[in-house]
Amino acid sequence: MTDTNFSKSSSSIGLNISRVGAEEKLQGKALFANDVVLKDALCLKVLRSNLPHAVIQSIEVQKASTSPGCVAVFTSKDIPGRNRYGLINKDQPLLADTKVRFVGDPVALVAAVSEDAAHAAISRIKVEYQELAPIFDPEEALAPGAPLIHEKGNLLGKRLIKKGVPDLAFQKADVVVERKYQTTFVEHAYLEPDAGAAFVDQSGRITIYASTQNPHYDQADVAKLLGFPENMVRIIQTATGGGFGSKLDINTQGFLGLAAYLLKRPVKMTYSREEAFLCTSKRHPLKIVYKSAANKDGRLLAIDVKIIGDTGAYASYGLAVVTRSAVHATGPYEVPNVHIESVFAYTNNSIAGAMRGFGVPQIAFAHESQMDLLAQTLDISPLEIRSRNILRLGSTTATNQTLTASVGIGACIEAIAPHYEQIRKSIEPTKTKRLRGVGLGCMMYGIGNTGVQNPSTAQVELDSNGNVTLFSGAADIGQGSSTVLTQIAATELGMNPEKICLVAADTGMTTSAGATSASRQTYISGNAVLDAVSKLKEALMTEAATMLKTGRTSLILKNGKIENISNSSIFVTLEQVARKAELEGIPLKWQGFFDPDTTPLNPETGEGNPYATFAFAAQLAEIEVDILTGEVTVRKVVAAHDVGKAINPDSVRGQIYGGVAMGLGFALMEEFAPGKTVSLKDYHIPTCSDMPNVQAIVIEDPEPTGPYGAKGVGEPALIPTAPAILNAIADALGSRIYFLPANLEQVMKAIHSGASKPLKIKLMV
Amino acid sequence: MNQEIPQEELADLEISFTLNGCQVHVSIKPWETALDIIRNKFQLTGAKEGCGIGECGACTIVMDGKAVNGCLILAAQLDGRTIETVEGLSSNGAMNYLQKAFLDKGVVQCGFCTPGMLMSAKALLDECDRPSKGRITNALSGNLCRCAGYVQIIDAVEEAVAIKLKDAGDPAENR
Repeated sequence: MTDTNFSKSSSSIGLNISRVGAEEKLQGKALFANDVVLKDALCLKVLRSNLPHAVIQSIEVQKASTSPGCVAVFTSKDIPGRNRYGLINKDQPLLADTKVRFVGDPVALVAAVSEDAAHAAISRIKVEYQELAPIFDPEEALAPGAPLIHEKGNLLGKRLIKKGVPDLAFQKADVVVERKYQTTFVEHAYLEPDAGAAFVDQSGRITIYASTQNPHYDQADVAKLLGFPENMVRIIQTATGGGFGSKLDINTQGFLGLAAYLLKRPVKMTYSREEAFLCTSKRHPLKIVYKSAANKDGRLLAIDVKIIGDTGAYASYGLAVVTRSAVHATGPYEVPNVHIESVFAYTNNSIAGAMRGFGVPQIAFAHESQMDLLAQTLDISPLEIRSRNILRLGSTTATNQTLTASVGIGACIEAIAPHYEQIRKSIEPTKTKRLRGVGLGCMMYGIGNTGVQNPSTAQVELDSNGNVTLFSGAADIGQGSSTVLTQIAATELGMNPEKICLVAADTGMTTSAGATSASRQTYISGNAVLDAVSKLKEALMTEAATMLKTGRTSLILKNGKIENISNSSIFVTLEQVARKAELEGIPLKWQGFFDPDTTPLNPETGEGNPYATFAFAAQLAEIEVDILTGEVTVRKVVAAHDVGKAINPDSVRGQIYGGVAMGLGFALMEEFAPGKTVSLKDYHIPTCSDMPNVQAIVIEDPEPTGPYGAKGVGEPALIPTAPAILNAIADALGSRIYFLPANLEQVMKAIHSGASKPLKIKLMV
Repeated sequence: MNQEIPQEELADLEISFTLNGCQVHVSIKPWETALDIIRNKFQLTGAKEGCGIGECGACTIVMDGKAVNGCLILAAQLDGRTIETVEGLSSNGAMNYLQKAFLDKGVVQCGFCTPGMLMSAKALLDECDRPSKGRITNALSGNLCRCAGYVQIIDAVEEAVAIKLKDAGDPAENR
């Protein structure tokens, strides 16, 4: 950052402060979980099921236990606490007890002196299974008489949202469009495979260094698995090489805790890339049947949406995806009559859980395709039909929530409109084999968890030397929360953010900030920090007023001093105030709290105010399709995002660029086959050669309840990209793809499927 | 490795090479990779293992001026070579021009790909003073990043090129 910019305003909000930890990362000094060295640590490896569905008849560990270098082999019988964990539903065993439910389910845990010794021991474990009929399709899983994957049944959950009288609206509509959409499993593919290390400290407390986005949840679930008090488990987040939702689950932490607890020795565990593929959670594949009704002006009258989701073998965050995909099914549009049903089932596929967007990227693909189909049917431009239907101040959402502030979708569309028109005009009929197209994608995204409490806490402390320390449980996984929270605290205290010491994501040192998920840390933890700092500031100002024998309102806190507004030569330093307060026993550590104002959804109608604020975005994609190969090249993306306020604009843009890249992968190339996809050779994510020219436009429609007006951007960044690309492909080909990813095969099918805009293609074979 | 052959029966190999400007001598196992020994024997943990099969580029190091995947090079192949890792970019704790450009452009998110990305960029800039954007993209296309979408990374390398030319007093910069 530039000190000059800072000193002018004494505020670092809106400045491009360098990321906390960036210099260490650039010098190779940052310690990621696999870089942590614990003396004489044992290596942990897991034996996993190679069958999708089977009863465990016996596990023979004797030969493994006596294998050279093997120290211990654990099975479910060794778990001292309750052998079930999970983010919402506690349905996942750490080590399988009665049965295995997917290829990759953990069966036994080995601790050995080296990785080779651990592998050798694993190969000597014999498991006898009785195979059961597997189910790989959620509709089959819910059919009567389907084999049960879990004793309670195969239904994970269901969400209904009803508004108005959709049946009547469909009858009266000028146009009705109904289509079926489908998406596949998607892998997070964070660059750092899951890893951790653990030891038992002198007090008997189990300390786990983990690559995680959810330290306080980890602590609670590990403690329950061990039947050990929560305060005797400490989770310290190491530098974390990406998460995108999958590091919300406890991937290595349970194994590390178990082995350290039972062996009282340091242990270390690093997933191979194969394990990270096979065993961690994925994005849910959804089948969506979407029916939209509009009048001849293109005004939406009603939607009827049926969503069927596959949560795989265990629930993870699945229940949140059931609801969030339903709540967001309208997209950023006002629809007076709504019927949405979302039903998710267990199958014997890989676990599907949280992945950037929680079901919204999938449903956005459907609602944005529908908007283009309506526009095409009514001969209205895609831009115009969206503008006519967008949410505005005073609009109500599908859950009948009235939006009262910070509805920036209109501004986002306006920002990309000139780019859209310009590209639109530049596309002329061509006789070449490369067809160009342009498409739009819009979205809304509720910040924070859906209709449930999801508070954050933070503390701030001034020591007697005048140093400020901020304590936050928020895990920065690369998205930048540590930097943003520091900027917020610094601004409130009139300080340079570089002078604030941050202690983050260590359950031994910080209280819970909740999960790094749902794009919630800037808004929710930002507010908790603001609350803590405001309380400290109030105490300091009161003390300073006494010291300076003046009124509280005539003072200002600036650059480490509290000074008289009209005469800056009258001041006390923070250090002086701190020393005085200490002598008087006035507390200098204050706790802040924030929980967004939400109401739970009605179980019958879905009515409620599930989020305190929403982010909005509109993106356009310009693409080129090679009609001989099916290859799609994305040439340009313009991405306008209403973030409320960009606390750190470079970070916001970084999120947008990264989101566009992930959205491009989701649109065109990423497809995970459970039990089969095990490496980056089989699973392609975008490289820099795949990237289009990306123009990020930051829209700031301030959120009154946000810290300095901020909302969030992490997940919104990704959501509109795939819909925009798919709409652009349809624009280029005149024929639409209803399946993600739109890989070469899908594109070739679309080219040859009798397009509505006739194509004259002669293939020369 | 074959689990039936006890490790102790396979003789250690002695190798010498230049690591970040220092001559080093180390004994290694025949099956160890360059990445293994750089991380475990020299505690230089900047290079990361992201996949172990040369797909992700997180383990990129520079060998005799070329960017290579540390996970695909046997440690034995290091003998007599000149090796540079991310830890060698800074001098006396001060970051070099490339690292500074990455900092300035706000490139770093999770940071796991960063060391490898820097080393690929370094190999390119050592070889070529004025790489085109296409050549930069090509040089970095073996380094996956899942967070940042590459835009600011490419910008940073372009900025580093400009800084390097300026520092060298290149008249082309003043045209």
